Amino acid sequence: MTCKKARELMVLDHYGEAGAEDKARFDEHLGKCPACAAERSETRRLFALIDAHAAEDAPTPDWEKVWRGVRTGIAGERPTRQPALAPWRRWPFAGPALALVLVAGILIGRFGLAPAPRPAVSAAAAPSNGGAPNGIRPAFAAYLEDLKPILLDYAHYVPGEKAEGRVVVDESALRTLMLQNVLLKRKLAEKDPAAADLLDDLDLILKEIVNRGPNDTNSPAEIRDLIEKRDVLFKMEILKKT
Amino acid sequence: MEELTNIRQAREGDPEAFRALFDGHRQQVFALAYRYLRNRTDAEDVLQETFIKAYNGLPGYDPAKGLNFAAWLNRICVNASIDAMRRSKVRETGPLGPEEAAAMSAPSHSSDPERSARSAEIREKIDQALARLTPTQRMVFTLRHYQEYTTREIAQALQSSEGSVKKHLFRAVGLLRKHLRKYVVEDGYDL
Repeated sequence: MTCKKARELMVLDHYGEAGAEDKARFDEHLGKCPACAAERSETRRLFALIDAHAAEDAPTPDWEKVWRGVRTGIAGERPTRQPALAPWRRWPFAGPALALVLVAGILIGRFGLAPAPRPAVSAAAAPSNGGAPNGIRPAFAAYLEDLKPILLDYAHYVPGEKAEGRVVVDESALRTLMLQNVLLKRKLAEKDPAAADLLDDLDLILKEIVNRGPNDTNSPAEIRDLIEKRDVLFKMEILKKT
Repeated sequence: MEELTNIRQAREGDPEAFRALFDGHRQQVFALAYRYLRNRTDAEDVLQETFIKAYNGLPGYDPAKGLNFAAWLNRICVNASIDAMRRSKVRETGPLGPEEAAAMSAPSHSSDPERSARSAEIREKIDQALARLTPTQRMVFTLRHYQEYTTREIAQALQSSEGSVKKHLFRAVGLLRKHLRKYVVEDGYDL
């Protein structure tokens, strides 16, 4: 067993989640590795410290005030579900998506990463672009366009549908999209928190797509639910236009 | 059975049925949000947001899929709490509210004032160390350590993979150990 694996197991072991076989190998490793034994001791003391200083219990909220807020939030509404698009409207976008990934990469490289030119006019006289750094908006909009077909495909996933009808994007393209996400977030984080939040959501979704195994039949539905619950497509439409 | 009836009626737009669901689950949802956000007002906001989202999401909730209503609400609460934490990053590092400050300085079981002060200091350092984690690391640690979810249950709540949850948990514990090492060593906590 490697020390890295032992470090992971010392956490799982604390929570009683290490399997019997792993635990036996872990104990054997500790007997031979003083560094890991010391680290286990420190980890156990950390948990003891945290437990000894557990925060106070939650205070009692004003339940009626919260309920009034809920009532206002749902007043006049009746729960509704957006109808899914018919299967024939799902776009076979893999090819165009990959081409757009390339274009977005070029845009980010050209506008997003190049040092900003010194302004010729004072900040007060400069026109506002909604708070986003100059030049990064087109790259951000192009990035959202690239992702849209992939997300639409998942958003309209129906359990049991055949795999051959789905958009296929290879892992390297997905990883390129994740890299672009990081670069865009770096540029937008301070001046446009809403865009940065959306990029966080998109990053999470991309990771889920990349990490899903070939035989993982639950993932598409989970990714669909993630897109739906976080209103990702709606936010993309709004932020693309601002 | 009664809960299923309330869910069905709430789905039809019956506010009283939804109120019954709110009353039955508000404590559990609030406790989770408060444990994560450490701020009563923020936790109340998340509680409210969770139930509004739940109401709108009722048509998509299917108990037959195996996820019980409480777990489904927790999943919404987890996402709302992470979003709330992202929104309030600035406030989070600011001064504590009166209620949190009072809780922080509340006397511990010890009657020794010096020891109480030390305990309050360590509790504050633990909160600060938790605040330095990423929102996901913090949520994973909160759910595993305080709420006693298994990593599998956390993966369901966060709609993520178990492997990813474990990675977040390892990183969270590693960072807490780093940030709190001084207190672990000085106070000699051991089992």
